[in-house]
Amino acid sequence: MTDRTPPRAADWLLRRVLPAGPRGDTIRGDLLEELRAPARSPRAAARWYWRQTVSLACRYGWRRSRDYGERRRHMVLESLWQDVRYAVRSYAKTPSFTLAVVTTLALGIGASTAIFSMVNGIVLQPLPLPEPDRLVYVNETNPKGDFISVSWPNYLDWRARVRSFEALALSRDEALTLTGGERAQRVRARRVTANMFTVLRVAPALGRAFTDADDTPGAAPVAIVTDAFWRGQLSADSNVLGRTLRLDGVQVTIVGVMPHGFEFPRFNFPRPHDLFVAMGPVSGSVNLTDRGNHNGFSAMGRLAAGVGVERAGEEIRAIAAALEREYPNSNSGIRAKAAILADQLVSSIRPTLLALLGAVCCLLLIACVNVANLLIARGAGRQHELAVRAALGGGRLRIARQLLVESTIISAIGGALGVAAAAWLLRVLVAMAPDGTPRITDVRLDGTAMLFALAAAALCGIAFGALPALQASGGAGQQALVRGRAAGFVARSHRLRRGLMVVETALALVLLTGAGLMMRTLQQLTHVETGFRPERLLTTRVQLAGEHYTPARRITFSGDLLTRLRALPGVSNAALTFSLPIDGSNWNSIFTVADKPIPERAKLPSAAFTPVSSSFFETMGMRLVRGRPFDATEAPDSPKTVVVNETLARRLWPGEDPIGKRLKQGWPETPDHPTKSGEYFAPWREVVGVVSDVKFNGITSETPLQAYLPLLHEPARSLAIVVRATVEPTSLVPQIEAVVRDLDKDIPLVQTRTMDQMLDASMARERVSMIIFVMFAIVALTLASVGLYGVVAHGVTERTHEIGVRLALGAARADVLALVVRQGFSMAVAGSIVGLLASLALSRWIEGLLFGVKPTDPATFTAVVATLLAVALIACLIPAHRATRLDPTSALRAE
Amino acid sequence: MGQAAYLGEFEQLLLLAILRLGSDAFGVQISRELEARAGRRISRGALYTSLDRLEDKGLLRWKLAAGSPARDGLPRRLYVVSAAGRAALRGSRATLQRMWRGVEHLLEEPSS
Repeated sequence: MTDRTPPRAADWLLRRVLPAGPRGDTIRGDLLEELRAPARSPRAAARWYWRQTVSLACRYGWRRSRDYGERRRHMVLESLWQDVRYAVRSYAKTPSFTLAVVTTLALGIGASTAIFSMVNGIVLQPLPLPEPDRLVYVNETNPKGDFISVSWPNYLDWRARVRSFEALALSRDEALTLTGGERAQRVRARRVTANMFTVLRVAPALGRAFTDADDTPGAAPVAIVTDAFWRGQLSADSNVLGRTLRLDGVQVTIVGVMPHGFEFPRFNFPRPHDLFVAMGPVSGSVNLTDRGNHNGFSAMGRLAAGVGVERAGEEIRAIAAALEREYPNSNSGIRAKAAILADQLVSSIRPTLLALLGAVCCLLLIACVNVANLLIARGAGRQHELAVRAALGGGRLRIARQLLVESTIISAIGGALGVAAAAWLLRVLVAMAPDGTPRITDVRLDGTAMLFALAAAALCGIAFGALPALQASGGAGQQALVRGRAAGFVARSHRLRRGLMVVETALALVLLTGAGLMMRTLQQLTHVETGFRPERLLTTRVQLAGEHYTPARRITFSGDLLTRLRALPGVSNAALTFSLPIDGSNWNSIFTVADKPIPERAKLPSAAFTPVSSSFFETMGMRLVRGRPFDATEAPDSPKTVVVNETLARRLWPGEDPIGKRLKQGWPETPDHPTKSGEYFAPWREVVGVVSDVKFNGITSETPLQAYLPLLHEPARSLAIVVRATVEPTSLVPQIEAVVRDLDKDIPLVQTRTMDQMLDASMARERVSMIIFVMFAIVALTLASVGLYGVVAHGVTERTHEIGVRLALGAARADVLALVVRQGFSMAVAGSIVGLLASLALSRWIEGLLFGVKPTDPATFTAVVATLLAVALIACLIPAHRATRLDPTSALRAE
Repeated sequence: MGQAAYLGEFEQLLLLAILRLGSDAFGVQISRELEARAGRRISRGALYTSLDRLEDKGLLRWKLAAGSPARDGLPRRLYVVSAAGRAALRGSRATLQRMWRGVEHLLEEPSS
């Protein structure tokens, strides 16, 4: 046995970490015994001892700290639990306060999260396609700068010359009739160039993409179907490749199926596309090869690596300018514009969403201010209680924690309700969204937005909830205890609350102004003179597709259809047209007038050309201004005639009688009779009548120049049926359906709507915006008036003593009333002034949403301020009235 | 089936070592026994905390014995496997035997 002693530091450490008593002693004893065993050299023994010490220190040290931590945590949890119970009890004692805070929070968080989720889904989220920020939308513009569609030959030249794009594709929406099933149905197709799939970087999940061969004129018609169509219509047949679909009377071979979840970016289609068709069947048609024709196509390209949209836009503009020089006849004034696809998709709705987002920020702010206000009032009322607790030894931290727990609990409850409210509101908003709202299917409840709103509301609640804690335990606390009330804090809290009230009133006024302007807009819209009588007017569309519908057959079909429709009971008149009012034009064209000098090409007039049947004007309830409508004079081979609208007559023949003048659709040099080469031709037409203007492209756009042609001369394939009913118009739908099916079982009715529905739909965006703004304004006004009431009522309670003195000294009750009202009302006035200025400053944000009313409309502003002040006055009068009824003796005794 | 606690391998080794040592089972001896028979060198930290754990599970008990000069008079803890510990060991053995039955021939050492 040797007489070694353990290293001192190791021994010290062991004594600290090992359990006290025999447990630790026996371990140290064992170690000593082994240290002194002769087997090891002294140095090795010392090293060994250290190693064991470290291993014991690690094991026992960790165990000790864990036990200690647990005990401590347990204590903390215990007292936290106490705080929670205390908080719940105190909230339960003031249910109206609790309800106010929770409701405010829930409204603020719910509304802001829901609206932000909409904006996020529609505007901010990237498109669900690979590298969507490199997808660019390219279109041609007319001399006015409006987007018109892209001419096929121009596109082919762009494609050959452009360097900024990896690939540039062309496409358009088409509605095709699918027959061969039980019932004919309309399918939504996108006609695309083969490289579209390269641009989108999406390949079919089954089969092949289109190839350039599919685009060449005369190529066999092929289609690629979407996954949804494949599952829904083709029963997910795995042998679908090679099957044919009969589309518009043509057998089209299916060559591919797109992957699940793929959706082509949609501009206006309310439904996703069903299938894609290749260019081959149309690329050789005279219609497409004429450079002057813009057939509804738009281009979409993928930027080459390292190229920005600006550079691509410049290049496209340069190419367009070159084409303008090369083909002055067709391209004069035709330019091109490029924009990021995602921006272009939502460009129509972006102003609405941004204005709503602004409104919702206002609402969230109001909610925060209101919560702050309520909590400060509560805090001020609790000064005494807190001072007592501090005096009894409640630590500053302990009291602060108590208040923090209270604020956190109420914020959490408000937040949870807010999340539920957001989910519900978002569902309502999505359901309310106008048909065809882009990307509405991408809208999800947004986690980030929810977190943001929760954090904002919670922070506000916690910050203002804990404010009194800082006062309570300081010097002011002593005062509070002695004087029953901490005058300093109360005064400070009053100033703060009054300031917050001014902010809240101002914000409410901003929202009220927005709501007022939107209401005026909708009022203006519903009073727009449409130029026709929309009541009891039913519209629906048919498509005479396929080779067998020759012009002669189309004329026969139209004649038969009209005769049968007019014979239906409940139908007072019926007509056919190529394009419907409100719905917009399907055929815009340059035209030339016979008796006027030909202007330079970029300034040639353009009109919406609209083939219509006889009695169209009567059926629509349009007014004939001069001449005659189309009647029995018009026959398929009669001299060509045209009826123009007032705008066209005024523009082309100001101060002259347009009857008997001649015009020709197309360029000055377009032949007016068929030529041997099969070139496009347009005959001269004599103006036989002038009709009143109608709203043609929606309800807000100016009426374009319009030229109505006899359907007998221009037998269109796509026809809208217009029926003037003497009964409820929708009740006629089955009979009309039967008439059409009887004529051709393969023709389905599509887009069946009453004219009233169409008008409603055309104002849907404004109506939805208005509803949301009004909802927000009501909430804002309610919150602001409740807040105001709270501040004034609290002021009255605080000043009970003073008011008592005044009354005792003989002050008139009216004076007391005026005193109290003046104090509250001055906040509302100050808030209104700030709010007015803010509204004026913000007016341009809402300008894009308005129609027929200026964003600074004095009438609206006056009405809004009057409303706000009236509500504010009521909110002040209630507590003021109470103050005048104070009994002076008891008021004095109360102190 | 009894409520016999599940024993880890190291726990089994510890309990068996204590059984083998009989009345002389204290820390130093246990670690020596483990090293000699099972070829395990273990840190004292692991040794004592494992013994504590077995004690918490009720699988062993200890009593104090007087110290010697070699340990500066510090006492020893003499461990004894409790009835529950013995039951747990039997259970573990039975489980292992059941699992072994019929597979010995698959694990026979190559004959040459």
